Amino acid sequence: MSATVSWPSVELDPVLRLRALAAAMPWVSLEECVIEAPFGRVWSYIEDMERGVPQFEGNVRRIEILSRDGEWLALRSFAPGGFAMTLDAVLRPGWCVMRGAFGEIGMAAAPVGPAATRFAHFEGSRRLGRLARPLFRRFVQRDLARLAALATSDRKGTSPS
Amino acid sequence: MTESSRNASQGQGQRSGAEVPREPSAPSPPLSDVELRADVEDEQVRSAQRGDALALSALIDRLAPFVGRICGPIALEHGEDATQEALIAVLRDLPALREPRALFGWARRIAAREAVRHARAARRERPPRGPLPELPAPGDPALVRDVRRVLEALSPEQRAILLLRDLEGLSEQEAAAQLEVEHGTVKSRLSRARSAFKRRWAS
Repeated sequence: MSATVSWPSVELDPVLRLRALAAAMPWVSLEECVIEAPFGRVWSYIEDMERGVPQFEGNVRRIEILSRDGEWLALRSFAPGGFAMTLDAVLRPGWCVMRGAFGEIGMAAAPVGPAATRFAHFEGSRRLGRLARPLFRRFVQRDLARLAALATSDRKGTSPS
Repeated sequence: MTESSRNASQGQGQRSGAEVPREPSAPSPPLSDVELRADVEDEQVRSAQRGDALALSALIDRLAPFVGRICGPIALEHGEDATQEALIAVLRDLPALREPRALFGWARRIAAREAVRHARAARRERPPRGPLPELPAPGDPALVRDVRRVLEALSPEQRAILLLRDLEGLSEQEAAAQLEVEHGTVKSRLSRARSAFKRRWAS
């Protein structure tokens, strides 16, 4: 019967997948929110990483993309204090995961209708372990608030793309 | 980044970040089970077991659709919850997996049990529907929709055994091991499930 029958299947959206990814890394802190802005506008801040991410990510002053190979990126991130970190990343619509020597970052988004977006974000450091989760939770909450403010008050010309 | 995680994802024809469309995308086009299991190298699984975020990301690209195909037909309208919880269970317990090559069999077992658990809970809350209304003739476009209605008339355990035997191609012994029931239970359950499916499908 299977040859002629289409069985029901389930496709998880990127936000649900990011929850699963975070479950495998108990040292990260994951937060979610619904942003009252279309998916394309919200994701433009992540997609255009060099211009967009420093606008809402408090620990990043500048990003340089060192190389790009399909969805795989190597980049260098500069913190406000000048500390620089090299990261490998995978980036595609709705999904971004970064891994550096001192931390891991994940972002995912899925449309909630045409005018809103569910956004999930985690940060953490395997080196620092679970004890640092409260610190990263504050970082993530701050970043989400900034991104939501940017995306919902987006005037022409302020969006990175 | 590890070459294994990189290769596993590159094989799926992803677009570059510079050319991205404006909607989220899962790996596309949909991969067959054989393709899903291909290219998942032992080293990629071991990197994921060590908590490598990129290796885990690449592994999720393969595991999420695989688990969704198990949970969907068993848990039906609760398939999304079952899929997510099964995927979380697989990834959370990944460090305990001894043999990387056993990954998909192990994930199938977790997914089937999680789906049955969700479907049982739903059945307790909402008893199964009565006899199905008239089904469309073969070739009718409504057939795809009505597969779901036929499955709804079966018990979660019957859906699970049908899926494992007729879709996943497991032997009765293998299906019994996956569901942690006796071989004889699988035989009788499968017989009743096939009869019920055929009767309702052909009526």
